[in-house]
Amino acid sequence: MSSGPTLEKRHMGMTAANRLSNTVIYIILIVMSIIWLAPFVFIVMQSFRVESTWMTGYVMPQKWGFDNYIALGKTDFWHWYTNTFIIALFTAALQTVIVLCMSYTLSRFRFKMRQPLMKFMLILGLFPGMLTMIILYRVLKDLGMTQDNAVPGLILVYIASSGMGYYVSKGFFDTVPKALDEAARIDGATRAQVLWKIILPMAKPIVIYTILTAFMGPWGDFVFARYISMNSTAGMNVAVGLQSWLTLDQINSRYTMFCAGGVIVAIPVTILFMCLQRYYVEGVTGGAVKG
Amino acid sequence: MLSEREINYLRMPRWQKPFWRLGQGLAAIPKGFGRFFAGIGRGIAGFFKGVGENIADIGRTFKNGNAVTKGSFVVMGLANMCRGQFLRGLLFLLMEAVFIVYMITTGGYWLSMLPSLGLVGPQEEYDLILDTYVTTYHDNSFKILLYGVLTIFFIIAFIVTWRMNVKQAKISQEMIESGHRLKSSGDDLRSLVDEGFYKTLLALPLTGILIFTVMPIVFMILVAFTNYDGTHDGYFNSLFHWVGMENFNQVITWGSGSTVYSATFGEVLTWTLIWAFFATFTNYFLGIFVAMMINKKGIRFKKGFRTILVMTIAIPQFISLLYVSKMFAKNGIVNGFLMDMGWITTALPFWEQANWARITIILVNIWIGIPYLMLVATGILMNIPADLYESARIDGASPWKQFSKITLPYMLFITGPYLLTQFTGNMNNFNVIYLLTTGGPTNPAASGASGAVGYTDLLVTWLFKITTGAESKYYMASVVGILIFIVVAIITLIVYNFLPSIKNEEDFQ
Amino acid sequence: MASVKLTNVVKIYDNNVTAVHDFNLDIKDKEFVVFVGPSGCGKSTTLRMIAGLEEISGGTVEIDGEVVNDLQPKDRNIAMVFQNYALYPHMTVYDNIAFSLRLQKMPEDEIYEKVTQAAEILGITEYLMRKPRALSGGQRQRVAIGRAMVRNSKVFLMDEPLSNLDAKLRNQMRAEIILLRQRLDTTFIYVTHDQTEAMTLGDRIVIMKDGYIMQVGTPEEVFDRPDNLFVAEFIGAPKMNIMKTKLVEEGGEFYVTPFGSKIKVDGEKGRLLKEKGVKPGEVLLGVRPEHMVLADAADAGAISAKVEVNEMMGSELHLHVFTEDGTRLIVRIPTIGLTHEQRESLVNGHELKVSFEGKVMHFFDPETEKNLLYGE
Repeated sequence: MSSGPTLEKRHMGMTAANRLSNTVIYIILIVMSIIWLAPFVFIVMQSFRVESTWMTGYVMPQKWGFDNYIALGKTDFWHWYTNTFIIALFTAALQTVIVLCMSYTLSRFRFKMRQPLMKFMLILGLFPGMLTMIILYRVLKDLGMTQDNAVPGLILVYIASSGMGYYVSKGFFDTVPKALDEAARIDGATRAQVLWKIILPMAKPIVIYTILTAFMGPWGDFVFARYISMNSTAGMNVAVGLQSWLTLDQINSRYTMFCAGGVIVAIPVTILFMCLQRYYVEGVTGGAVKG
Repeated sequence: MLSEREINYLRMPRWQKPFWRLGQGLAAIPKGFGRFFAGIGRGIAGFFKGVGENIADIGRTFKNGNAVTKGSFVVMGLANMCRGQFLRGLLFLLMEAVFIVYMITTGGYWLSMLPSLGLVGPQEEYDLILDTYVTTYHDNSFKILLYGVLTIFFIIAFIVTWRMNVKQAKISQEMIESGHRLKSSGDDLRSLVDEGFYKTLLALPLTGILIFTVMPIVFMILVAFTNYDGTHDGYFNSLFHWVGMENFNQVITWGSGSTVYSATFGEVLTWTLIWAFFATFTNYFLGIFVAMMINKKGIRFKKGFRTILVMTIAIPQFISLLYVSKMFAKNGIVNGFLMDMGWITTALPFWEQANWARITIILVNIWIGIPYLMLVATGILMNIPADLYESARIDGASPWKQFSKITLPYMLFITGPYLLTQFTGNMNNFNVIYLLTTGGPTNPAASGASGAVGYTDLLVTWLFKITTGAESKYYMASVVGILIFIVVAIITLIVYNFLPSIKNEEDFQ
Repeated sequence: MASVKLTNVVKIYDNNVTAVHDFNLDIKDKEFVVFVGPSGCGKSTTLRMIAGLEEISGGTVEIDGEVVNDLQPKDRNIAMVFQNYALYPHMTVYDNIAFSLRLQKMPEDEIYEKVTQAAEILGITEYLMRKPRALSGGQRQRVAIGRAMVRNSKVFLMDEPLSNLDAKLRNQMRAEIILLRQRLDTTFIYVTHDQTEAMTLGDRIVIMKDGYIMQVGTPEEVFDRPDNLFVAEFIGAPKMNIMKTKLVEEGGEFYVTPFGSKIKVDGEKGRLLKEKGVKPGEVLLGVRPEHMVLADAADAGAISAKVEVNEMMGSELHLHVFTEDGTRLIVRIPTIGLTHEQRESLVNGHELKVSFEGKVMHFFDPETEKNLLYGE
């Protein structure tokens, strides 16, 4: 330790260096914020462009108007929107139930096949999901749940194997002390009552996280939706539908409508997410990493 | 007392130590594989031993069994019903009845056709009434494969159930003889909400996984050994048959036997691995970096910055990807802006040139991925005990040292498994690649291989193109799918070798 | 109100580790039995087997004469207080206590009676509408006890309930548990690692080590007549001094010769040695710190030692002394008998002599570690 003036000089030097690094950081963060938000600002702006419907090299519309949004009504867009919304709703409800059943069981119960089961699902998850599509499509087609009727087919595909996605929820349940279960069982509850009366009421964050992620999933799925709707436009979800507008033959008349559609899709989902954001963050930082 | 090896390590010059540790790690890999295969060997041996023990037990049960027990060898559930367990007995009997009926009516047929996958394909026959040649359809290879596999599953299920039946007959006989009370049907039902509640909870999820994941994967694995494609769809235009390893040979050939498939496979695999590596680690380190920046003492609006970044997670990815894809197009916003500023005269080939495309994809992926990684990193950073840093500061550690000796090791330890899943996930990251470039620019050398493969195609996007392409070479898709699995499995195994074992979950509870 | 009987109870885990070996115990109705021992001795495991939270690998557990091995916890009519209280966090204190009663479909006004009654006994009435996170450790503990109390169960199990409390609170709660015991008048099984709790609370103590029962007895029995070396060292604080020495016979009397001294085994113990026909030879000699006294400097037969450290405990002095060959002994001396100068002199380096009477000596076989006089 040095005395008097030298110490002060060093102290002030540190603060200056600190201030410099903080300024640099602020600059970086501000630039980052701009870069990250820019594309979305652009989409919104381009969705209001009236003078042309094709892709242009500039962002700011020369003429502003709601034309693109209105034009959406004359296309299949709203049909796709309702499709995706229905799918998301059912998926959110059913997938949550399935995932929670699976993760609670694996967290709480110790039965003989438990370890083999978990290892098996781990290995199963290493296969590309798309591989199963081919045969599932044929089977669903025979059942009449494809193409125009893709919605029930997609719902089924999403929820059926959703049990494999138990990791985050299980991580959460693992942090709930087993002593709570035991106390309830001694108090006279069956294990079913323990789950229903004790654990679930405590598990609000993870339940909301599961519902949220289950709801958001179908809005962004491309592969399965594309495959199951095959050639029908009526059975598409928003992702497939909007993407079809960007193909070479459609893009010139649909580009700005794509932007408008994108905005409409993004807004409710984003608002929902932002409202429930802290549950999402809790789920990610709490369970996702423990894995 | 320190061992000689430990003493040697401690006395090594500092720069040498990481190399030595790396060497040890690499040397451990073949050992790890050795252990892995030994483990598989032991598993298989254990399996056969188990089967042997079961058979011995069945023999003993028959020898020591009374009339009722012996009877349940033939009539499943007999022992249960005679001893008061009506529910179980009924279920066993039902299983037997359904199985027998099924095998006699359809099961036998499918099973018998499995080796051939159909004998009579579509035929042209002269129809007298219509006075023309008309196609009649006969065997259906697809259905044969599908139902044949289902039948095999059913047979296995039946054998397992029969074994359970015999075992219960033996146990119930022993329990009665020693004066214990058997579980009644009421007990069984009640346990379904108590000790046996896990059965109730798992029933639906496991059935779903069985039907929608396990069966299709088994089916597709088998398809890889057939010639099922657009021209051999098994019913309408032609049957398909077993072709053994022929498909695999096409894709994995060495040296002179190289085909366009194997060349394509090699290229796509290489890019997939490079892509996964960069995508994972750029996001990882940059995410940590951003998290640390925002988290730093003295930076205000922490919540604001985080919220802005988190918002980008909320927006459905396909919108962002499709739009950004168009942003960088030849006549897109970015080129337009650069040209307006006069910085360039011709449009930059962001998507048109192979290497440009690859780099741009990685950059866009950073844009997509950082917010998420930043969240994860922030959560972990907050959990590092502050006194670790304080103690380091007192010891005189610089910020860089603090980062490399405390932050980074801690992060890597906690997120080890997570990184692995990110890596394998990126290997199969369909959306980012397909929506940005659809795999392009096209690779002319690969045009022989189905699917118009491009320079940014991953194995999965290639798989998709094969499946939805004109030729519909399903068998090729299966082969590629299986190869993806093998590559991912090998990587997972290797990495698990390196990771400290965080597998013991009871320790954390 | 019920008896609990464990016969040949064994617990083996999946990895073939045996946690509890051949446990046999007869607990009488309304008895307060304490399982005590170091970490990992199997005491909690045994308790949990009685509760039904662990599967019983072998043997039988009977509650009130009925074999309960296959019964679920809820059917065994037991109540349990957990180390970490295990209160339901999303419910109020009232609901926590009422939970089990509601499961029994008891009418709400009856529930009200019982809950408020229990709350009053425990002094937590003002917290009834609060949630557990708003309570202190001691208050939570009372709620946990209240939850168990209202059930009127046959057996009351407690798994290290005081371990998470600070020392002062622990002493307070110990007294309250004794009061609770008087009030509830039921069978108690209490698990702890603290021998003080065991001694003060239990009618009988079961001392366990590595899954085995080392001794079962009243506090007096295990203190005065420990069956083996482990019990002797476990019960009583500071630990009993154990000295490797020889037992010699001279002129019809027994003597012990620790560290070059020669001390006669007089009184009852000497008589018992002769009666049991104990042969002279190597023994482990045990004497509690409080039974050692400072001997006259002139006493030739006493042990010579040097003071290493002294701990001033208030009403006593704990002297840590070193014998000639380096063995450490602890001697407890009441300060009231010492002058100030005497106390000041008992510092590092001070030489003194220690001795003890025959009646405080315990003899253990060096190999089997069993008590030569009382162990079987």
